Amino acid sequence: MKQKVLKRSKKAALVLMVPTATFLMAGCGQEEAVQTAAFETVDQCAAYYNPEQCKADLGQALAMHAQVAPKYTDKAACETDFGVGQCETQAQAAAAAGTEQVPQQAQASSGGFFMPMMMGFLAGQMLNRSGSQLKQPVQAQPLYKSRDDRSTFRTATNTPVAKGVGTAYVKPSSVQPKPAGVVNRGGFGAQAQKRSSSASSFGG
Amino acid sequence: MKKVACDERPGWRSYAESVGFEFHTFDGEPYWDETGYYQFNLRQIEQDLEEPTEELHQMALSLVEDVVRDEEKLQQLAIPEKFWDFVADSWRTKAPSLYGRLDLVYDGSGPAKLLELNYDTPTSLFETGFFQWVWLEDQLMRGKVPQGADQFNSLQDQLEAAFANLPLANPLYFASVANSIEDKGTVMYLMDIARQAGVDSRFIELEQLGEASGQLVDLEGYAIGGLFKLYPWEFMLQEDFASVILSSQTQWLEPGWKMLLSNKGILPLLWQKYRGHPNLLESHFEQPGQSFGAGWVRKPLFSREGANVELILPNGEKVTEPGPYADSPFIRQKLQPLPKFGDSYTMIGSWVVGNSAAGIGIREDNSLITKDSSRFLPHIILD
Repeated sequence: MKQKVLKRSKKAALVLMVPTATFLMAGCGQEEAVQTAAFETVDQCAAYYNPEQCKADLGQALAMHAQVAPKYTDKAACETDFGVGQCETQAQAAAAAGTEQVPQQAQASSGGFFMPMMMGFLAGQMLNRSGSQLKQPVQAQPLYKSRDDRSTFRTATNTPVAKGVGTAYVKPSSVQPKPAGVVNRGGFGAQAQKRSSSASSFGG
Repeated sequence: MKKVACDERPGWRSYAESVGFEFHTFDGEPYWDETGYYQFNLRQIEQDLEEPTEELHQMALSLVEDVVRDEEKLQQLAIPEKFWDFVADSWRTKAPSLYGRLDLVYDGSGPAKLLELNYDTPTSLFETGFFQWVWLEDQLMRGKVPQGADQFNSLQDQLEAAFANLPLANPLYFASVANSIEDKGTVMYLMDIARQAGVDSRFIELEQLGEASGQLVDLEGYAIGGLFKLYPWEFMLQEDFASVILSSQTQWLEPGWKMLLSNKGILPLLWQKYRGHPNLLESHFEQPGQSFGAGWVRKPLFSREGANVELILPNGEKVTEPGPYADSPFIRQKLQPLPKFGDSYTMIGSWVVGNSAAGIGIREDNSLITKDSSRFLPHIILD
C-alpha cells in the first residue's frame, strides 16, 4: 500500500518552552578536561601535530592577541603585572600579527594602550586526538606569562593552562576567549523605544 | 477554499499559556482564533500556493544580485551607502538565511498575488509551526475535523533541518527587544527548535548586546559568533552600534542581504524585471507630485504589520492604518482587495525555509489591512 505523503511536520515538539524542560536541562554533568597543548613556535608545535594546522593556530592566536590581551593605560602598570620590557602597544601587536613567530622583545612606544606581549599560543580543537566532536571546542588563542611566574602559560583572562611547552589539559569553558577592554551596551534598540507607542512587536 | 465553523478545544487557553503562547489574546481581543478554520483542497495548496511561493522566492533571490551591483537600485531601496559593501559581501559569501514569509492574496481560485515579502523579521511562526499543528492533531483525535485531514505546515521539520544543516555559529545567540512578549515568544520557539537540532542556543535582550574592541559581546563579555536578531535591519543601521555591524565578525541571521528583500522597494523592482507575472501586482516607486488615483495602495519602504499603509479604493474611499514608519519613501502597488469570508478579510502568509515552501498561516481582520492584531486561524487540507 502506498504511504500518503503528508504536507505537515512529522512532529512538532518543544523541549525548552515546556515547564518540565527545566528538570531535563538541569542534569548537566561535570565538564571534562580535554587535551590541548601550549607552544612558542610553529616548529615546536609541528613536532606534535600537523604543521599546517600549527600555522593556522598561531595565525589565529596572533590575530586575537590585540583583541583579548589585558589593556593598560600606562606602561608601568602593565610591567608590574608582566615584567619590565614585556609590554607593547596595540600598534606593535598589530604589526606583529603578520609574522609567523611569536614576537620576541619589542620596545613599547608611546600612544594607545599597553598590553603584555604574546609568549605562546594554545593549540585549538583540531589538535584534540580523542576524535570526538567537542560540544564547546577549545579555540586557538594567545598565551602570556606573568612577572612573578615565568614558566606558566596563562590565557588573557589569567587562567594558567600549562607549565611550559607541550601537552596540557584544560576545561573548554575556562579558556573561552573574551575581548578585553571597555564594554559598551545599549547600542541597539533605540528605534524600538522611539516607535514603541504604536507597536508591540518589531517582527511582522 | 472555504471557512468552516468549529468547536474550540476546551481549555486551550491554559494549554497555550503552559507552552509560552502568552499572546493568544491581545488587549482583550482574540489573536489565536479557533472558532473556525479554513479548508483547502490539495490542488489549491500545491498548485496555487506552494509552487508560486517557491517561484516568487527564486524571483526575489534573482534580484539580490541585480541590486548589489547597481548603485541606483541601492539608492532606490534607501540602503545607506556605508553598508553597500556589507550587504554585497553577505550575498557573495553566501551568508546563510533561515526563513521568510510571503504575504499572498488568494481566494481559492486564480493566481495568488504577492502583497509583500517579510524576509527579515517574519513572525507568527510559533502559531503556524507549532500551535496550529497541535490544534489539528487534537481536533483529529476529538473527531472535530474530518479524518484524513492534513495541513500545509512542515515549518518545524524544515526549521529543525535548517538549524542542523546550515553552516551556523555554535553557540548561536537569539535577541529580541526587552518589552515585547510576542517577539520573545517567537525567539523562544526558534531557540527551542535550534536546541533540538543540537545548536547551543542562548537568549540575550537586544538592548543588552555589548561592544568591545569592535566585536559584539554577550553579558559576560564573550564575543558573539552568531546572532539571530528579531529586529529590523533598517533600525540597526541607524543606531549607535551601526558601526559594530561593520567591524564585528558576527554571523547574522537573517543575513545582511535580506534587508534588500524585506524592503517594499523590492516590489517595483520585481515588477520591472517580471512585468505581467501572474503572481505579481503592478508596483512603482512613488515620485514626488505623481498622481495614482483610485485603486492603488501606498506603502512605506520600511514598515511592519500593516503600519502606515494607505488604500485608495476604486470608489475613492481611503482605508488607512497609522503607524511609526512614515519616515521613509513610499511605493505604490495596484490594489488587490483581500477576499471576504463572512465578515472577515483573509490573508495568507506563506513560509519559506531555505528555498522550500514550508506551510501557511492565515490571518483575518475586520478591515482590508492586515495588522499586528489580526486574528490567526488554523487550516486543513481535505481532498
